[in-house]
Amino acid sequence: MALVTGPVSATPLPMNKIAEGVYVHIGTHGDFDKDYHGDMANIGFIVGTSSVAIVDTGGSYKVGTELREAVRAVTDLPIRYVINTHIHPDHIFGNAAFAQDKPEFIGHHNLPSTLSLNHESLMRALLDVLGPDANGSEIILPTKVVDNVMEVDLGNRKLHLQAWPKSHTNTDLTVLDEKTQTFWTGDLLFITKTPSLDGDLKGWISVNEGLKAVPAKMTVPGHGDPTKDKNGMLDRQGAYLNLLLKDVREAIKNGVDMQKTIDTAAQAEKPNWVFFDLINRRNINHAYPQLEWE
Amino acid sequence: MKQKLMILGLMSSVLISFQQIGHAEVVDKYWGTLKQTYFANKTLEENNAISIKAPLRAESGAQVPFEFSVQYPQDQSQYIKSVTIIADTNPVPLTAVYHFSPDSGKAAINTRIRMESDAYIHVVAETSDGRFFMNKVPIRAAGGCGGSIGGDESLARQSAGKMKLSVKEDNTSAIKQAHLLIKHPMYTGLQQDLVSLGYRPAFFINKIVATFEGKTVFDADTYIGVSEDPNIQFPFKADKSGTLTVVIQDNEGKSFTTSTEVKVN
Repeated sequence: MALVTGPVSATPLPMNKIAEGVYVHIGTHGDFDKDYHGDMANIGFIVGTSSVAIVDTGGSYKVGTELREAVRAVTDLPIRYVINTHIHPDHIFGNAAFAQDKPEFIGHHNLPSTLSLNHESLMRALLDVLGPDANGSEIILPTKVVDNVMEVDLGNRKLHLQAWPKSHTNTDLTVLDEKTQTFWTGDLLFITKTPSLDGDLKGWISVNEGLKAVPAKMTVPGHGDPTKDKNGMLDRQGAYLNLLLKDVREAIKNGVDMQKTIDTAAQAEKPNWVFFDLINRRNINHAYPQLEWE
Repeated sequence: MKQKLMILGLMSSVLISFQQIGHAEVVDKYWGTLKQTYFANKTLEENNAISIKAPLRAESGAQVPFEFSVQYPQDQSQYIKSVTIIADTNPVPLTAVYHFSPDSGKAAINTRIRMESDAYIHVVAETSDGRFFMNKVPIRAAGGCGGSIGGDESLARQSAGKMKLSVKEDNTSAIKQAHLLIKHPMYTGLQQDLVSLGYRPAFFINKIVATFEGKTVFDADTYIGVSEDPNIQFPFKADKSGTLTVVIQDNEGKSFTTSTEVKVN
């Protein structure tokens, strides 16, 4: 396989050091459309005494390359692990920038099959929104999967990886850095940006509760600013998800059709989020057909 | 295999054209070819006999609500025989053909379809005396033909074919409205596995037949452009109480049956 090597002059991505050895790049809120720039998710890395783990690689080869430059600005230790928190394009398309490091690519046990069966449509959608800026981006399948939990040692630093049931997607994985109790939720937690559903609404509501038990001093959501108040933020997200469930269920019970429900459900939550109209409508379109089977 | 390659060939040409259009207005430029494919040598009367209700911009290409109704008599002497839905830029544009009879009461359907990209949807109705009516709508949508992101195949196969059938209570009319939900992943056959490079085989419902008291009231040929977990509302005539029975079949030849009692006062 011919690998494109990163441009030597790639600018390192701006990073925030949120705990000792923990670096996060905060993505710019956006949607996967013509304005997509590949840099809308929170991505970053964790440095141990013997190696480095990447948590999500960004939404294009270019962003992945800039993340790799940011690692190199901090340490020369080998990048042994690239962890993908789930399947979405804004989190995985930078993977190819790390192929040269020959790391373990780690993902949820559903990730290989789901990624594999959707590779063509994901690639096509990326080309459609990024055009030539998609150059170098490719789908890289996990080399190691997490069935339930897994521990990764970076040298005096253990990461606890946990695979969750179908919720935001069917491939959600979280990462807890034991040393600093920094918790990376992937897209199981949205802050400020409207939570986007591509899995199972009831599953997500249950996982949202489950995340509260995780001990965390600092939490990195998939989108939005890192927070010390994980459970407060989960409550906010839970309020939206529960209202969405309630409104869609009621609409189905009262015989209100899907298109009308798309216009009306969960509107009371609108002031609390950005990109609400776009994402909420999509969520209803996703949840309504599932909830008709209750 | 040959057929699969042809479909793929079509898909990549669609992709190229889609990039050329970008996100400008939806352009009605494939219909010439599609009309030749599906209605060669037929004269289609473009008019408003068919009314269509669909979003201008769908939230997701996976479940696009789509509704049509034909304003035309539906009795023994004159009726709509069939209505065809064609999603112009889908890898398989032919989405569904609905067959009606005077016992249908009306030619109207409310369902959900998949759309791969922005496209015109063409609806063609054939009358009992051989006329063809056509109407169309542009819909902005994307990405619906890849199949769902999530989904455990063995679970999907276990529950495939389950149905929920209900009839709206309405004593004001002899034309009743049935609502049919089918659990089915509707795999397109177009999803290539990255490792084996094989394709996940197509697995979809291809036939739906509804009878009321032994008379066929609704009959549909469905293809991979129908959304996962097909959801269809169709009319039928019931001037007395009786049993509405639905039989569906998938492309592997398995069939499933459900029924419901309809009360007419």
